[in-house]
Amino acid sequence: MNSAGSVSPTPPGPAMQRPVTRSRTSLWASILGVAIGLVFFLFPIYWMLVTSVKPPSEWLTNPPVFIPDRLYLQNYTDALFNWGGLKGLEDSGIVAVSATAIGMVLGTLAAYALARFRVGGTNLSFFILSLLFMPPVAIGIPMFLFWSALGLVDTYIALVVQYLTFTLPFVVWVMKGFFEDLPVDREESALVNGASRLRAFWDVVLPNARPALVATGLLAFIFNWNEFSIAVLLSRGRVTTLPFILPTMMESHYVLWGDIAAMAAVGALPVVIIAFLLQRYLVRGLSFGAIRSE
Amino acid sequence: MLTARQRRRSRWSGGRRFALLAVLPTTIILVALSIFPLLYSLGISFTDKQLLSLVPARFIGLGNYAELFQDSLFWSSLAVTAAFAASVLTVQLGVGLALALALHRLPRYQQFLATLLLIPSIISSSVASFQWRSLFDYSSGPLNFFLGALHLPLLTWTADPRLALPSLLLVDFWQWTPFVTLLLLAGLHALPAPVFEAARVDGSTGWQLLRYQTLPLLRRVIAITVILRLIGAFKVFDIIYVLTAGGPGSATESLAFYNYVQGFRYFSIGYSAAMSYVSVILVIVLARVILRYMERPVGRAAAPAPTAEAAA
Repeated sequence: MNSAGSVSPTPPGPAMQRPVTRSRTSLWASILGVAIGLVFFLFPIYWMLVTSVKPPSEWLTNPPVFIPDRLYLQNYTDALFNWGGLKGLEDSGIVAVSATAIGMVLGTLAAYALARFRVGGTNLSFFILSLLFMPPVAIGIPMFLFWSALGLVDTYIALVVQYLTFTLPFVVWVMKGFFEDLPVDREESALVNGASRLRAFWDVVLPNARPALVATGLLAFIFNWNEFSIAVLLSRGRVTTLPFILPTMMESHYVLWGDIAAMAAVGALPVVIIAFLLQRYLVRGLSFGAIRSE
Repeated sequence: MLTARQRRRSRWSGGRRFALLAVLPTTIILVALSIFPLLYSLGISFTDKQLLSLVPARFIGLGNYAELFQDSLFWSSLAVTAAFAASVLTVQLGVGLALALALHRLPRYQQFLATLLLIPSIISSSVASFQWRSLFDYSSGPLNFFLGALHLPLLTWTADPRLALPSLLLVDFWQWTPFVTLLLLAGLHALPAPVFEAARVDGSTGWQLLRYQTLPLLRRVIAITVILRLIGAFKVFDIIYVLTAGGPGSATESLAFYNYVQGFRYFSIGYSAAMSYVSVILVIVLARVILRYMERPVGRAAAPAPTAEAAA
């Protein structure tokens, strides 16, 4: 019935409950392990949030202040208005949304064609996937020369198009796998009933692909929002995404930990919030790419 | 009279025009943005080209490659990259697997806990690196505070030539182990439940179950996880850029970072291009070796891949 459900791991339900015969010690060990993991992996995040609301007098104290007694929100207004955080949010948003949207539309179409029609045989698929393996630094110099020849260094266009070099292969990789696992019956009956191919794709395939599309789009957005090395190579100060702004804040002689933490939080919060809102899709999206058999 | 199969085939082969149009934009963009730079890089890797230099570039054949193999900084950057790769294969995979198995035992809040745990992997590495910069701070950072509270000697972390690399490995571990955990957890979910049931009836211990049933069946997911993370290890740049800038000295210059230094600081782009090629070849060779090793048939335990049923 629901083909998307059978592709992805089912959400934990009764079938996942381990029988009682499994020893209790291993259950407690699991709880302890997860608890230790959470403390270790979340402490730096907590430290960021705490530092972002500390007044300057508490930034460099010894012992460090772990629980501030009041919220000092001026770090956030400093980060947003004095350090260009607002512009950073805007630029990160424009670049990440554009690259994700274009990558999803073009990548999904290509993935469908590759999965159903095997255009270009295995060579084209392999070429597209192999780009996932390429270290960005490997093409850093020619990439820079290419965009400066076009006079487009430090523009939205350069970043968006350049981000497509990893967004497109990622979308194609995940969505191609999904389409290959999707039964063709319903598309065929739509075609028999006189629908065009585009109509069959739009009306029959896409609605079934919704969970995979959300999951893939979410991950693509996260990658694009976070991208750092290409931004460093292609930005000169006009287009300033949030990951690009952070290192520029170190250049003053006095390290403004509170402002930096606030900027970091501004950069991290959007993806964390989206991840929690769409947590079902996030976990599933990782498995679409990794679990299926090719 | 056509069989159903023949009819199906003719219908799918009819849509080639649609298929070509659908695949064209992606292909054009990717070819333009990758083939051109790669060919250009290959060309200049045989020259002594310098950016911003007035002297025209000379063709020097394999000179850059020969120089590369005598460059001690290249070898030490390779060792730094290998350290990141080794950390992936040992602690990140080990702890990731342990956490995945632990989470697998706790179905009730699993999705929420997994998402919480995943936060380090979904925030920008630029953001992550700045947090660690403040955690590593000698006089006011929490890490030294904890060491002091335990009456241990304080450390200078990224400023210490011997500790700088382990400090970066710690950050990389922190950022990417949750990602490894999630992939392996998804792999555990896809395992057929009867595997566990049958083994339990046999009276297998937990360790035997893991060693002889679970791990062989997870082979494919482990392979993909390892490859994704090894690619990450070869690309590692952001945390070095923010935390150590390759220092002290060249103690934390990875392959990618040394490549950046040669190309964008010294403008020796011919040399830098040659280095790019060596690293791309290394990644491809490694990926092939791992895929081959991980995809060997696994004997009795081999079960049809659980997700194949939807395609059949």
